Amino acid sequence: MSSLLQRDREIIVSNEYVDNFDFAEVEEFVKNASKNLFISHKFKTNRGKTLVQPRGGFPTYEKMYALYEQFAPVVDVLPMTIDSHTRLNDYGSAAKMLRLSEESETDLLNGYPLINHGYRISRKMITHFDTPVSLRHGTPDARLLVEMAIASGAFEIEGGPITYILPYSKNFPQDKAFLYWKHVEKVVAKYSTLNEPINRESFGPLTATLVPPCITIVIQIAEMMLALEEGVKSFSVSFAQTGSLNQDLVTGKVIRRAAEKYAKKIGVEDAMINLVYHQWMGAFPRDKFKSDSLIDAGAMIAKMVGADKIITKTRAEAFGIPTKEDNAQAVSNVQYTLNMLQGIPAFTDEEEEENLMREVDEIFEAIFNDPADTLWRKIFNSIKNGIIDVPFSPHIINNNELITVRDKDSNIRIYKKGKLPLSEKSFKYEQSKIDLGENPNSVVNQIIHDIGVML
Amino acid sequence: MSKLLIDVGSTYFKVCDGGEISHHFRNFDKDIKDDLLFKCGDIIQRHEKDEIQICSSANGGLSTLIIGLTDSYSLKYASNIAYNSGINIIQSVIYSQIESYPTPSELLDVIIIVGGIDSVTNVFDAKLINYLDKLNYSNIVYVGSQTQREFLTSNISNLKVLPNIIDNKLKMVEEDLKEYLTNLYQADIMGKEDIKHLYSLTSNQIYSTPYIVNKSLPSISKKLDVADPFIVIDIGGATTDIHYSKDLCDDNIITENEYDRLVFKKLGVYKSRESLIHTAKANEYVYELLAYLNTTENTLDEVSEKATEILMQLAIFLVLYKVSHHHKSYLNIKLDTLNSIVLTGGITKVLSKEQIDEIISFFYSKLLGYHTLPSVVVDYDYTIWTLGMEK
Repeated sequence: MSSLLQRDREIIVSNEYVDNFDFAEVEEFVKNASKNLFISHKFKTNRGKTLVQPRGGFPTYEKMYALYEQFAPVVDVLPMTIDSHTRLNDYGSAAKMLRLSEESETDLLNGYPLINHGYRISRKMITHFDTPVSLRHGTPDARLLVEMAIASGAFEIEGGPITYILPYSKNFPQDKAFLYWKHVEKVVAKYSTLNEPINRESFGPLTATLVPPCITIVIQIAEMMLALEEGVKSFSVSFAQTGSLNQDLVTGKVIRRAAEKYAKKIGVEDAMINLVYHQWMGAFPRDKFKSDSLIDAGAMIAKMVGADKIITKTRAEAFGIPTKEDNAQAVSNVQYTLNMLQGIPAFTDEEEEENLMREVDEIFEAIFNDPADTLWRKIFNSIKNGIIDVPFSPHIINNNELITVRDKDSNIRIYKKGKLPLSEKSFKYEQSKIDLGENPNSVVNQIIHDIGVML
Repeated sequence: MSKLLIDVGSTYFKVCDGGEISHHFRNFDKDIKDDLLFKCGDIIQRHEKDEIQICSSANGGLSTLIIGLTDSYSLKYASNIAYNSGINIIQSVIYSQIESYPTPSELLDVIIIVGGIDSVTNVFDAKLINYLDKLNYSNIVYVGSQTQREFLTSNISNLKVLPNIIDNKLKMVEEDLKEYLTNLYQADIMGKEDIKHLYSLTSNQIYSTPYIVNKSLPSISKKLDVADPFIVIDIGGATTDIHYSKDLCDDNIITENEYDRLVFKKLGVYKSRESLIHTAKANEYVYELLAYLNTTENTLDEVSEKATEILMQLAIFLVLYKVSHHHKSYLNIKLDTLNSIVLTGGITKVLSKEQIDEIISFFYSKLLGYHTLPSVVVDYDYTIWTLGMEK
């Protein structure tokens, strides 16, 4: 009798919109796939280099192919952004919109509907370009999508049970998300034994709105541990440009340290942990020259934090979905800036690093102290009771008591800690940096200002 | 120590002795205990009282009427808690329109009054008291804004006051009301003379069957080929229950369970046969469905094995219809994203897998336009029930 996992997988791929999924053939494909398709291999052989990956996805095969054609010569990793209907497992609507997009030559989907295109044709495209492809989605239940992605040759899977729920969803049950992503991690781990590892990447930006670094890091490490405990061997933690150069450098240092420490804590020492940096994910200026400057600063910080990969934005960000030309220009600028910054010296801020690491440890101490018998349930309970709290999350489970503002140097500081288990020392440190002037009631205005800090 | 598991249903006894399951049609002229001892006395005598676990759905559950301020919070939250405590909702009343609602004539087991977060004032007035005067009920509980407690306690005798089920962030607080309703349910089971007698056979607590089924769901895939998200349809003699994975419902609220439950009190094939036929005849697809099953509406009035099979098939169809987007009811379950449908209960003893597939295939192709079905699993051996009882 086949394993529980395999029985689940067989039921999941028996879907109205999947054309005869052949597990044996897919395994054979992964086993013999070109090493160039594996970002984990690229990370390994390009240590010290910051790989560049744009964002992008179009509904039709032709447009997606054209996008890859434009990108392939200048990028290190190709994106495969999935449309919103597919993200919600609504393949019927995705199919309709794909058909209409093909007929009208207007893009009626905001990404590539991978399930509807199927893995056979998508694989043709991916293997043709022989460059790693990263699956970008936002799907709470990504079990089918991940099967299709790997079968297509997309060997990097973004997302996770927290980072694809709390920022994106209002109602999707968080406990189910943990179980669905546990399934995904198992599938990824299984395929990782056949050739180079499939890389998993967490989505660090979260709501991209005044998220304090300690929360970003805790959630990144939590998802990393959940993946590693299922046997994933290559994992990328990530975070987004905070708006403060110093805070980014400190976050980069601490997230690496914490990743190593907590991987060891669960007994995993053989996994490759990578660092990914997202350029500014908040509201973009409508002035394209300011956008260029923001993007350049992002590229510089990525180099300074020693990111293994940078995910780029474009100067068209404030205006809608960027064209392939916008993207190509952004990538070319970023590559240019990164090349200029070879050998940039390291910066340290011991006080900030110490405080941030202490905050992370304090939150993890509370998570590990939860009496639940499994790691995912400890984390789940910690979200429920506010130990993990993401500012501006729309999800009903999120505690929403944590309030943050920027200090005079633009660092994100904790103004009200809600139920975050921070020690007096850590919280006092945060408070000592905040200056709201004479009027403490101005916090709302301050927050509004801080959200639009780059406008 | 080998356990003896007994389920007292409205139509059958199910008995599981050392993994061996047998079922026995009940004799309604007899007391439950006498009937059970007559049919399974030998098995029962081989076990000590502490080895015997009994659950029952034979009392049909408690009935409730809920009075709330809004659909989106008070009624939704109270309904969810009530369903998950095994309570059947007879009517939901929006307070602003209370004067236009009919007053149920039957005896209600419990009335739930809810509305507003704690800071909300001036919610209830004499309209509520007048409405309650016309009702016939055994218990009444208030779980709304604390500002209204004084007014209500001074005007309603025997009012039980519990903490508000809506907190200041508009989230649901379920524990107190759930515990209260579950205790009422248990008291009702124990209070029923018939069930009370069963305590002479067991020293363990007698639970309600839906509670047992719900408990087993997180680990169901260890025993059956089922992939989440799934639903379990439990069609019995008196009621039909749907247990569903919470991600199948957009209107999801935080609860302790991964799975929620919805009960259709009037959809059973023996005790609720008449109301099932009535519901079926009122359904716009049913004649097409009967044609598809190669039969006519006359079958519904027959008393034969074939008629029971058709009724069972109709029950499956109707229950799917009621939770689909074709029917605006308490909730819509996303049937298009289902991976598995599990059938359990008395239905598994009557219908073959092919007959079940036939009806589900009709539903999916006709109403959803799908040609690939979720995997259909028939729980012939009452695995779900056994799993829950063992837990």
